[in-house]
Amino acid sequence: MRKPAKILSKAIWIAIMSIVSLLFAYPFLYSILGSLMLKEDFGNMGTLLPMPEVVTLKNYAYVFSVDGGIAPLLNSLQRAAWYTFITVTMSVLCGYVLARYEFRGKKFFIISIIAAQVVPSVLTLIPSYILVSRIPFMGGNNWMGQGGHGLINNKLMLYLPLGWGSLLWVFLFTQSMKSFPRAIEEAAEIDGCGFWRMMFRILLPLQGPIVAVIAINTALGNWNDWLTPFLYINNVADSTLTAWLATLTSNLQQFGDKDYPKVFAMATMAVIPPFLIFLFFQKYIIQGIASAGIKG
Amino acid sequence: MTATIDTMQRKKRRHSLRTRREMRRAYLILLPFFLYIALWNLVPLLYGLYLGFTEYNALGSSPRWIGLSNFKTFFSVPEYGTLLWRQIWMGMLALLCNTVISFILALALNVNSRIKGLFRTAIYVPNVSAVSATTAVFVALLNPLANQGLNKIITALGGTAITWSYSQFWMVFWIVLYFVWQRVGPAAIIWLGGLQGIDPSLYEAAKVDGANFWQQVRFITIPGLKFIAMYILLTGIIGAMQMFDVVMFISKGNPFGQTDVLMYRIYRDGFINFNLGMAGAESLMLGIVTVIFALGYLWLQKRSDDE
Repeated sequence: MRKPAKILSKAIWIAIMSIVSLLFAYPFLYSILGSLMLKEDFGNMGTLLPMPEVVTLKNYAYVFSVDGGIAPLLNSLQRAAWYTFITVTMSVLCGYVLARYEFRGKKFFIISIIAAQVVPSVLTLIPSYILVSRIPFMGGNNWMGQGGHGLINNKLMLYLPLGWGSLLWVFLFTQSMKSFPRAIEEAAEIDGCGFWRMMFRILLPLQGPIVAVIAINTALGNWNDWLTPFLYINNVADSTLTAWLATLTSNLQQFGDKDYPKVFAMATMAVIPPFLIFLFFQKYIIQGIASAGIKG
Repeated sequence: MTATIDTMQRKKRRHSLRTRREMRRAYLILLPFFLYIALWNLVPLLYGLYLGFTEYNALGSSPRWIGLSNFKTFFSVPEYGTLLWRQIWMGMLALLCNTVISFILALALNVNSRIKGLFRTAIYVPNVSAVSATTAVFVALLNPLANQGLNKIITALGGTAITWSYSQFWMVFWIVLYFVWQRVGPAAIIWLGGLQGIDPSLYEAAKVDGANFWQQVRFITIPGLKFIAMYILLTGIIGAMQMFDVVMFISKGNPFGQTDVLMYRIYRDGFINFNLGMAGAESLMLGIVTVIFALGYLWLQKRSDDE
């Protein structure tokens, strides 16, 4: 008597969760099917989902064309790679030093990391923009920072800013060093291993999982950060995929020629890399949220 | 005797040499990173404190000190209060829906099943997708024409087409729905971690003592999830008070500014109207209110802990 009831409740659970999952996936299905349509066909489409009568890859050809999306795509990749590199380097080095060394002012560094996490980003949004536009000697500015546009519209803005949210990963690495046996470092030191060699040859591989958590979450965060490039850069060639999509999506609400399929093709391209990373590395992404949760 | 003192002193000297070397290395590593981050964050923060007290209408010129004038405008023009209030209630509504729905999803996923991973992926993927890449679909779905988007489904079912952007209710509905769709994944995972972190023997002991389901929830599950709830709400408050991307992409503040929020106004005053001093003052107000909300929440939490 008990068993059929159990099977039935499990079947209901699977049915409900399947419907919920489909609802969550619906916008993606819509976007993928829409991206395979001709612009002219998009008006007369299926009831539930866009059903392309003629399947076309024209929109994807545009995404990969030189005057289309190839430049922002490459910029997105380079930007994510650069920030991943710098954040991992910073987290491992600073995190190690804060966990193992004793020095004056250590507490100050740790407290400032935690305090930085609660500062609302609205407070720096506008002033950052002004200061960037007034950096001396850049973009036609004189030594007072006047007369030009500073680093606005300069491709360097894809790589220079470093938000203090990234300090969270330093904290995470410091925490993870607590369960790392000191004996390994001591043995390496006795064998005459220097500091930098120990960092890169011993610590980095042995702390692989936590480094993966930092790397993957940073890469995803920067790929999806559309706001910074959107604010500072307004030409396609120097922009990133997600920032350019912000411009395209805003334009969809204005009157005039609306090319939904092209936007959907671009959006699908912007979603595929994070989706693949999530599929293969979800363990690290989930661990990232979980360990960030421990902090609170 | 002298020999032992001698080795002790040598040991001490060697030790202090080592500490000094560690100290030098620590500063050598920490200072460049921290100074660089301070340059990009602390300097703008301090500059922002000054900016709110100035009038500054164009890049290139210099801000002019006007004292409290911007704040007087903020408090005397009713529009700003309305925008701040709307930021609070729309943000809190979105946060509340997200917290409740993520908890229900976490309960539904707290089972042993192989298919669970698939469902978890489905609810999580919106969160690893950029907001700017997924809102275009919602713009297409909310097309006012009867034969387009959701209206096509509605008319096929015999209903009449809705002009979504003419209704405050529908715009708030879609903003909140998008917010939950995009952010429910991490919250559900955090809840799930909390549910799984509760010692199962507690439930068994309660069952032996004759506790019913609701008593188990009341005395084991809820106390066990206190820290998790605190984390979700605290980080959520800061995020909800700065929500503007969803508003910008889905409603643009329509109808007639009835879904406009303060954060979106700050963005427009700063980057479109170039009313930079006022944008600075608005930022300070929103920042202060956000911090007050976060601290107030912490205080309430602490008080309920003490009781």
